[in-house]
Amino acid sequence: MPTPTDVVEALLFASDAPLEAERIREVLDLADAGEARALVEALRARYAAADSALAIVEVAGGYRMVTRAEIAPWLMKLARSRTRARLSRPALETLAIVAYRQQASRPEIDAIRGVSSEGVLDNLLERRLIRVAGRKDAPGRPFVYETTREFLVAFGLRDLGDLPRVEGELVVPELAAADGHAETQQDPGPGGPGVTPRG
Amino acid sequence: MTSPRRTAALPPQSAGGGAGRGAEAPGGLTLRVGEFEGPFDLLLHLCRTSEIDLAALPIRTITDQYLAHLEAMDFRDLETAGAYLVMAATLIYLKSKLLVPPDESAEQLDDEGEALRQDLEERLREYARVKTLGAWLAQREAEQALVWGRPVSELPPPDDVPLEDLSVHLLERACKRLVDEQARRKPREVQPEPMSVLERMTEILAVLRDTWSALFSSIVGAERHRAEVVVTLLAVLELSRLGGVRTQQGELFGDIVIERRADAPAIVPGGGEAQPTRE
Repeated sequence: MPTPTDVVEALLFASDAPLEAERIREVLDLADAGEARALVEALRARYAAADSALAIVEVAGGYRMVTRAEIAPWLMKLARSRTRARLSRPALETLAIVAYRQQASRPEIDAIRGVSSEGVLDNLLERRLIRVAGRKDAPGRPFVYETTREFLVAFGLRDLGDLPRVEGELVVPELAAADGHAETQQDPGPGGPGVTPRG
Repeated sequence: MTSPRRTAALPPQSAGGGAGRGAEAPGGLTLRVGEFEGPFDLLLHLCRTSEIDLAALPIRTITDQYLAHLEAMDFRDLETAGAYLVMAATLIYLKSKLLVPPDESAEQLDDEGEALRQDLEERLREYARVKTLGAWLAQREAEQALVWGRPVSELPPPDDVPLEDLSVHLLERACKRLVDEQARRKPREVQPEPMSVLERMTEILAVLRDTWSALFSSIVGAERHRAEVVVTLLAVLELSRLGGVRTQQGELFGDIVIERRADAPAIVPGGGEAQPTRE
């Protein structure tokens, strides 16, 4: 008879998106999300004790079962690729702007970078790291962009609060906290209005 | 100098950004020293190497350095060049606003110039932040690349598509892609196969049987496809070698006269080996 922890393990394996604690609670008919989180911690402890090749990470507002970084070389062999296609510097910088402003228009992005961002934005849209969030009420009615859940997953962020602040110095928030989601929501930084994380 | 200290080392440039000295970036620039992602990037570089405080830009120095760099650069596309030139124009304009007499230690600008300079400083700081963040994201990306999970599903199941996730933009792109694919299939021109050398030789002999001599230019014909000219020349040379014709060229690059030789052996150009009675 599978224990609740076993079930959580299976759920995490089967899920193709980061699994929220709330969903776990629902499936297992638990009292509250805290119990769900406790089960995940129990699973983590089990993995750690067994020195498992798998790990549970917290990303994009949920939990995800992933392989440990040390196993990467074998996985790359399996995938028959040496490296995954990385983003170019212009793409990363554009992404940084969108991530911070969340509803950045192309003219805004161009003004900050000093060069045209058209091709880069297309690329990021293609990779589904950003999406069109609407139009700006300004001359030309340009599209505004925001980041997606795939963005959070691709960069291993729990939510936008995990983005570092930059004010003279890079202040990186505590990531991958072992005791669950950090309570403090940090102001992601300059430029944008106070950003609330999206689930 | 308020340069943001990175807690992570700058990751290596990916293929898109290019790296190294004199490297070529697709659609980017070919530079002698390093590579820049735009005018702000260049300015930032100049400030860093000259240890300039971003909160107090020395206009004269920075403008001269920027322009000097610009001259050394090789622009590959017009749009990027434009961006750099806009910055150059801005800096030159600022420089023109400096109050005279020029004071070495403290530059003074009129009100408009001062506002402009502060705007430039702010934008430079903004870009510096963005650059740092970009580098941090690159680091994260590299770390995450070592970790595999079940791929995050691209699309939700069909009966469950949230309409706010679709955008006109995606539809437009899909449509455009289809149209482009259609346009790509263009009909190809088929070139007629040129005559073989042997065929040519037969033809030339036939002509000479009637006329005794002929000009190369008339044999080649009016169209003068390169392949035809080559084949004809080879045919003439081969006939000459076999002793079937005699050739004469009056002047350099002039026309060639081809004459039938009275004592020509029977030449069978086609069908099997032509038996050379000489050599």
